[in-house]
Amino acid sequence: MRLFLAFASLRRHRARTILAVLGVAIAAAMLLDMVMLSTGMRESFRELLLSRGFQMRLTPRGTLPFDTEASIADASRITDSLRARPEIDLVSPVLGASAHVLRGDSSITTFALGVDPASQGDYQLIEGHDASDASSIVANDDFLRATNAKIGDTLRIASGYDPQLRSHSGERALVVAGRARFLYLASKQLAIAVPLRTLQQMTGAARNDRVSLFMVRLRDVNKIAEVKNWMRTALPTIDVISTADAMARVDERLSYFRQLSAILGAVSLIVGFLLVTTLVTVSVNERVGEIVVMRAIGVSRAHVVQQIVLEGTAMSVAGAVLGTGLGLVTARYLDAILSRFPGLPAAIDFFLFQPRAAWTAIGLLTACGVLAGLYPAWRAASLPLASTLREEAVA
Amino acid sequence: MVALLLALQLRTITIDQRLAADAHLRVGDTVMVSATPGGGGDSVIIAAIVGRRADPSEIARSEYRAHLHLDQLQHLIGYGDRVDRFAISTHGDSSADTAVRAINNAAFGFRAYRSRDIAVETSETFAVVSRFHRAIGVITIVASAVFLLCILLLKVDERRRDVAALRLLGISRRSVMLSVVLEAAFVSVIGSGVGVVIGWVTSLAVNWHYQARYQTPLRFALVTGDIVLFAVSLSLVLGIVAGALAARRLVRTHPLVLLGR
Repeated sequence: MRLFLAFASLRRHRARTILAVLGVAIAAAMLLDMVMLSTGMRESFRELLLSRGFQMRLTPRGTLPFDTEASIADASRITDSLRARPEIDLVSPVLGASAHVLRGDSSITTFALGVDPASQGDYQLIEGHDASDASSIVANDDFLRATNAKIGDTLRIASGYDPQLRSHSGERALVVAGRARFLYLASKQLAIAVPLRTLQQMTGAARNDRVSLFMVRLRDVNKIAEVKNWMRTALPTIDVISTADAMARVDERLSYFRQLSAILGAVSLIVGFLLVTTLVTVSVNERVGEIVVMRAIGVSRAHVVQQIVLEGTAMSVAGAVLGTGLGLVTARYLDAILSRFPGLPAAIDFFLFQPRAAWTAIGLLTACGVLAGLYPAWRAASLPLASTLREEAVA
Repeated sequence: MVALLLALQLRTITIDQRLAADAHLRVGDTVMVSATPGGGGDSVIIAAIVGRRADPSEIARSEYRAHLHLDQLQHLIGYGDRVDRFAISTHGDSSADTAVRAINNAAFGFRAYRSRDIAVETSETFAVVSRFHRAIGVITIVASAVFLLCILLLKVDERRRDVAALRLLGISRRSVMLSVVLEAAFVSVIGSGVGVVIGWVTSLAVNWHYQARYQTPLRFALVTGDIVLFAVSLSLVLGIVAGALAARRLVRTHPLVLLGR
């Protein structure tokens, strides 16, 4: 009965109800997007970091992975000492460099990763074989498209370019052995993976036995602090970055988006709340006569309160459900904009949909709807019957 | 005396405010600069502490910055007589174009770019953020428009009895409609004026917070004349449209019906 009366009241002013639901839907969409933004990018980045099970990254002191051209010397010795630790399950040394695919008079520049194919955690092989042979590479689709190469082709690849002499150095003939998806690279970035030793030789004495970083996988994640302490003592020129450290740095760099999402989410909630409060208040003011008549014929205060709160809740729920769909569409659009950040790994989603985010948005707006109905409901339920009847109903 | 003699031999560097604050360094302090962590380097004297420029590209990077004499840095990092780039000042834009063409035609192993072209390349991050802000802005405007429309419809709807009374007194439909639209426009302008003040105060808070957060003089939020004009115009248009729609419905309804008879 209460529900029926609440819906009847909403139906009476269709245009007004539709506009209110639309307003709440937009607020809900914005709220959902902001909840997704505040949690999504963090979760997406964490998933990316842990996608291959490596919990630690070792970089030259004071740098982040591939943030600068700094590299770590004595890579073989460090690799051996890391592998000797019983807590460490896998060590993947990685060297990053620019490489040039020579095409007659011109060249195509690509990012090259020197890896140990047996322990690498930078790419997933899609087709063909891994770069297990010293003169083989695996490449991503963007590279194959740009160079018009296919698996089995031999390419002349150089590691250095001297602009003074306009000549390339460290030139090698390398065979494309496989096609792979590189996990940490930006979309549209050309990339190849080369055996570590090959890339070190190509880059010459400057990079001999040097790497850009080590990725380390532990047998037991609870040993991270212990291993980290040992590394800090044993390897003083190296920064040890655990997944938690990396997350903290990402949080710091992307704190702007978290703050923006918090502010816009709060504004959305306030707008939704104000809209529903205003509408229900006006609706109650218009029906003061009806309400006192209902009270006069014996309808309880609780009944009146419930009916009015139901009106606000119904508008909020309808708006929130509609807004969830709308929010998912706008999230895709906004994600497409932010995914064009230069250098951002293609696998990162700023707006990662998690059911929890949707439930949070719907829950918050429903709570707002209930709260928005409370004040007008209280006012309606506490109307003095006799005087209001005389003023409204009899008049 | 020994310290003075030593100081006379030492080269000078400048460091930025962030490094000075974090490392508790002051002008006149002697520090060691090295190309590798823990490696050998040169002792230098801090000659000045410089403020950070309002450069958006440095915002998210919590980097320190030190300026060394060119020859000293080349020696320190084993770079030989090499530089990464030259900055060239020309007499005006047309001279810049001529200089770029001349260098690119004549120089061997160099490539000249105009600063403006490099700025376009390096500002891609901010172009993305700007596009994101614009998209969020559009969503906010749509939400505000619906909100405003809703509120004004309600406001006009509340005047049913007044409108009925005016109509029964013989006031023309046109006059009633005009008065309602004027009222809606007035409410919109007053509301947008209050909104502009709130926006301006908010922008001060945003700038204060982020300038302190990132230690930069960069201004993050700007309330410009164009933005104010756009906000006021938009709310005025929406107010007039909403007022006209609601008033049209009211004046078309018979006054007695409006009175509930």
